[in-house]
Amino acid sequence: MILLISVHLLAALAAPAMALALGRKVFMALAIVPLATFVWAVLNAPGAAPVTQTVSWIPSLGTDLAFRMGALQWLLTLVVAGVGALVLFYCASYFHDDDRVGSFAATFIAFAGSMLGLVLADDLLMVYVFWEMTTVFSYLLIGYDMTKRSARLAAMQALIVTTFGGLAMLVGMLMLGHLAGTMRISKILADPPAASGLLTAAVMLVLVGALSKSAIVPFHFWLPGAMSAPTPVSAYLHAASMVKAGVYLVALLAPAFAGVPGWRAGILTLGVLTMLVGGWRSLVQCDVKLILAYGTVSQLGFLLVVLSVGTRAAALAGVALLLAHALFKSCLFLVVGIIDHNAGNRDLRTLSGLGRRSPVLFAAAAIAGASMVGFPPLLGFVAKESVLTALVDVTAGGDGTGLGPVAAWTVLVGVVVGSIITTAYTLRFLWGAFADKPGVEATDFKTPSPAFLASPVVLAVLSIGVAFFGGPLTKSLEGYTHQFPPGAHEAKLALWHGLGLPLGLSVLALVSGALMFVARRPIAHAQTKVAQPWSAQRAYLSLMHGVDRLSVEVTGFMQRGSVSAYLAVTLVVLLAFPGVAMLMAWTPDVQVHVWDTPAQAAAGLVVVLAAIMTARARRRLRAALLVGVTGYGCAVLFVLQGAPDLALTQVLVETASVIAFVLVLRRLPTYFTDRPLSAQRYVRALLGLAVGAAVAGIMIVATNARTAQPVSVGFPEASVDFGGGKNIVSVTLVDIRAWDTMGEISVLVAAATGVASLLFIGTRRSTIRRVGDLPQHHAAEPKTGGSWLSGPSTLAPEKRSIIFEVVTRLVFPAMVMVGVYLLFAGHNFTGGGFAGGIVTGLALVVRYLAGGRYELDEAAPIDAGTLLGVGLVIAAGSGLAPLAFGGAVLESYQYDVHLPLLGDHHLVTSLFFDIGVYLVVVGLILDLLRTFGSRIDRQIISEERDNDATNAEVAR
Amino acid sequence: MSDRQSPSGRRRRVRSVWPSMVPLAVVWCLLWGEFSLFNILAGALVGAVVVIAFPMPPLHLHLRPRPVALAVLVGKFVVDVVVSSVRVAWTTLRPGASSLTNAIVRVELATPSDFVLTVVAQMTSLIPGSIVVDVHRARHTLYLHVLDVNSAEEADEFRKRVLEQEERVVAAIGGYAHDIDERSDRPVREGGTKR
Repeated sequence: MILLISVHLLAALAAPAMALALGRKVFMALAIVPLATFVWAVLNAPGAAPVTQTVSWIPSLGTDLAFRMGALQWLLTLVVAGVGALVLFYCASYFHDDDRVGSFAATFIAFAGSMLGLVLADDLLMVYVFWEMTTVFSYLLIGYDMTKRSARLAAMQALIVTTFGGLAMLVGMLMLGHLAGTMRISKILADPPAASGLLTAAVMLVLVGALSKSAIVPFHFWLPGAMSAPTPVSAYLHAASMVKAGVYLVALLAPAFAGVPGWRAGILTLGVLTMLVGGWRSLVQCDVKLILAYGTVSQLGFLLVVLSVGTRAAALAGVALLLAHALFKSCLFLVVGIIDHNAGNRDLRTLSGLGRRSPVLFAAAAIAGASMVGFPPLLGFVAKESVLTALVDVTAGGDGTGLGPVAAWTVLVGVVVGSIITTAYTLRFLWGAFADKPGVEATDFKTPSPAFLASPVVLAVLSIGVAFFGGPLTKSLEGYTHQFPPGAHEAKLALWHGLGLPLGLSVLALVSGALMFVARRPIAHAQTKVAQPWSAQRAYLSLMHGVDRLSVEVTGFMQRGSVSAYLAVTLVVLLAFPGVAMLMAWTPDVQVHVWDTPAQAAAGLVVVLAAIMTARARRRLRAALLVGVTGYGCAVLFVLQGAPDLALTQVLVETASVIAFVLVLRRLPTYFTDRPLSAQRYVRALLGLAVGAAVAGIMIVATNARTAQPVSVGFPEASVDFGGGKNIVSVTLVDIRAWDTMGEISVLVAAATGVASLLFIGTRRSTIRRVGDLPQHHAAEPKTGGSWLSGPSTLAPEKRSIIFEVVTRLVFPAMVMVGVYLLFAGHNFTGGGFAGGIVTGLALVVRYLAGGRYELDEAAPIDAGTLLGVGLVIAAGSGLAPLAFGGAVLESYQYDVHLPLLGDHHLVTSLFFDIGVYLVVVGLILDLLRTFGSRIDRQIISEERDNDATNAEVAR
Repeated sequence: MSDRQSPSGRRRRVRSVWPSMVPLAVVWCLLWGEFSLFNILAGALVGAVVVIAFPMPPLHLHLRPRPVALAVLVGKFVVDVVVSSVRVAWTTLRPGASSLTNAIVRVELATPSDFVLTVVAQMTSLIPGSIVVDVHRARHTLYLHVLDVNSAEEADEFRKRVLEQEERVVAAIGGYAHDIDERSDRPVREGGTKR
């Protein structure tokens, strides 16, 4: 089963490439996949035991790739695969060769695979995953014609409604799984949780999902909207498969949960209502496809009514009806597709004479329509007879459902009325699509090719043929129906149920429906008179409008554009939640260890003084430098604590950030504000103090809260034994907690990209310019004393410093050497890829400061994005590489190498991960330099040039 | 750079790798704290990679280190640093330090070499009490801020010390030693400036 689903998804991946070679014939090739599934299902007809397959997926969550095919699943697999194959075959005639065929075919086959997975999955979460996959693929299929606004809106509407239901269902499923203690559906059904309020809530939530997917009132409106999809999509998704997902779920859960309070009351009410509303709306449509769409809504309500009753007879009748509906409704949609394709028109007021032009098409439609209204001897008749028999049984004493006579009769009457309307709109559809209408010009209709006709004809023939196999079908479905207790009469599918009330009701429905069709004009007239002040569609639109409006209002209220306001909100939240939590957790026995050595106090004092002076600073530059002092003070504390690695990294990071600050501050006003100080600053100061106190308190409480052994206790041995290095910090970063580092460098790459693209819109690459690219470069180069660096010659003489140039020329290679040394040494000594990367980055900073932006591009004529990407790829690749050798992700290996004359050397594979980190950090600093340095330089120069031009203009 | 593309330029760049490798290998060994064969080879290799990965214009230093002169240079420098440290400490801490007089002193060096200029400037800056504030490259002139200069004579004396320093540097490493001209006996106009 997993294989079949995988083949569908693989076919989806291959489809675009295949479409390039085959054009629209790709549909025929792809049809083989569902056809094979169909054959497999036929060969695996339900026997004593269901077909199962389980692969462990997330054992810790109890989630497995569990698949199970019982009788119900078998029938649905036949429908999904069989109709899928026929519709794909039909698509080959329906579509023209164009470049979108490939993506359409891929989406279609992926949808078929998801639907198959949904039907076969035996795990609630798997069902949910496949459920949402069908939602997403159906969104893509409905919105196939993305240039049409209506198609996009319809697709979005279907997506929102079904996803809303899907989320409710997810919550319900999680509750259900919790109550049952397992997510395995077969186990839940075999041993359902005891009745409780919680169970009722869970089941109701699952039902919300099922009802929204199956377009039941009040969610019904998305289905007619979805008719803007290509007709094959309507035939498959909106007749045979996706809308059946909700029906399937109700049928699946009915044996265990039909007795849950609210189940019958809810579904029966909404189902009957849907059946009537859908039929009623169908009567007024002029688009033949919309007649079918509303008819489908009506039929889905009917299906849910029957399948939710919960007697053996009703269950069997419901499943038979499901099969019958899939056959006749997809046939009718395919017929409409042919009409639309060959006549270019779906309006029953202008269609005329099609029955004579294509008798085969008309015959197929007539057979399917007859099956829909329940005309003997078709499958629809067999199913409807069984339904009426089952419902009549319920009226006589409930048949084990506990439904009172009033409720049971109401349902029966509702179903019969719905059937009458069904007959009326079916006749109207057949008349509208095929009849010769007086006064209407015969429609120009191209006779469809046999290949085009094949699929609807096969479906119509099946509607007849299967009707004669009621006995075997009853037998095959026993695996499902026998989950219900035996009812008043033996449940069976047959063409002849004997004379009785059910047959009488069938005849009543047919005759009254025919009369309604004859009287269609007065009825339509009356319908237009009845005003519709309220519709679910309108409610949905106003709800969506309200949500949009609300988001605009909230955004306008929250996002005022004041950084200090954002900061204040953030900090107040910090005080209100973690701060208050800290106060509540504070106990008198919280211990504060003041210091280990007085030197720590001295360093702390420096940090505190610098912080106070930062807060008092009015110049931006001063504040930036003072913040740097607090950072260096922290580095001193690290040294005193015996953490040279942290201290080194802290010093380097602090240096890099001070440089970044200074580069940015060139473009900002000297003072934070030129206005007189406001009294508000005391409020801000108070807030800042409170936050500082809260954070300190949180840290004290948190460190006092430790009851367990710190996880780092085992790190010293682990880093030598498993990580193969003596520097615990470095081994922790690249080995023990390499996943964290992986995440961090990913964030770093994202942040660098964000900085580069937020400040300047445009690509990074365009900014690299070498000295040689300048036209007058050689003339500008002074000959005295040779050239120490090539970049400074592009600077104005007053901006150059020969000492800086000479020192840079001599020191730069050594700085890079130190960076590389730190990278390699990190495993055993102070260092690491991060520190090494910053040192290398600082070497580039020196080049930039000495020689300007051209010197930077001379030093690193590479795109920062390339470095970041390559670094990330190396880190990820070194993490994944062990998989190829049977190891785990990010596992490291050690090799001891003995080289003659060169000594023994210890090689650890996590070095490659560190190289990735190194490159990412170098890329980050390069990116910052280019953004804050080079590009701001260029901005300044171009502004100066503009000013000069303006001044010259004014002077003239 | 136009020679970046031409084959001769590439060959020249590869040839310029060798002189850089030796000092870089030494740096590498110092970093690892051990002069083993492996470290020397690895250092040379990493150095070569660094020089090739980050190309810079070729360098023609023409250095001729002389051990004795180098020892004199270093020894005198250490003495200067110690003596000046004590003097600066006394200058700033003594009673009446608030009425200190400082000066900007211009020194025209004798050597036209950028390298010598840089070394002299760096060493002078490292000696407490004086720091380079500006350089005029074409006239190889240093502008130094000097602590506690009260008269034009004291400024001249300081200038003399810097020029002696330059002579020692030239004697020790020999950069452009033959280029020394006699411009240093020009009259000086700068004097002490009262603060």
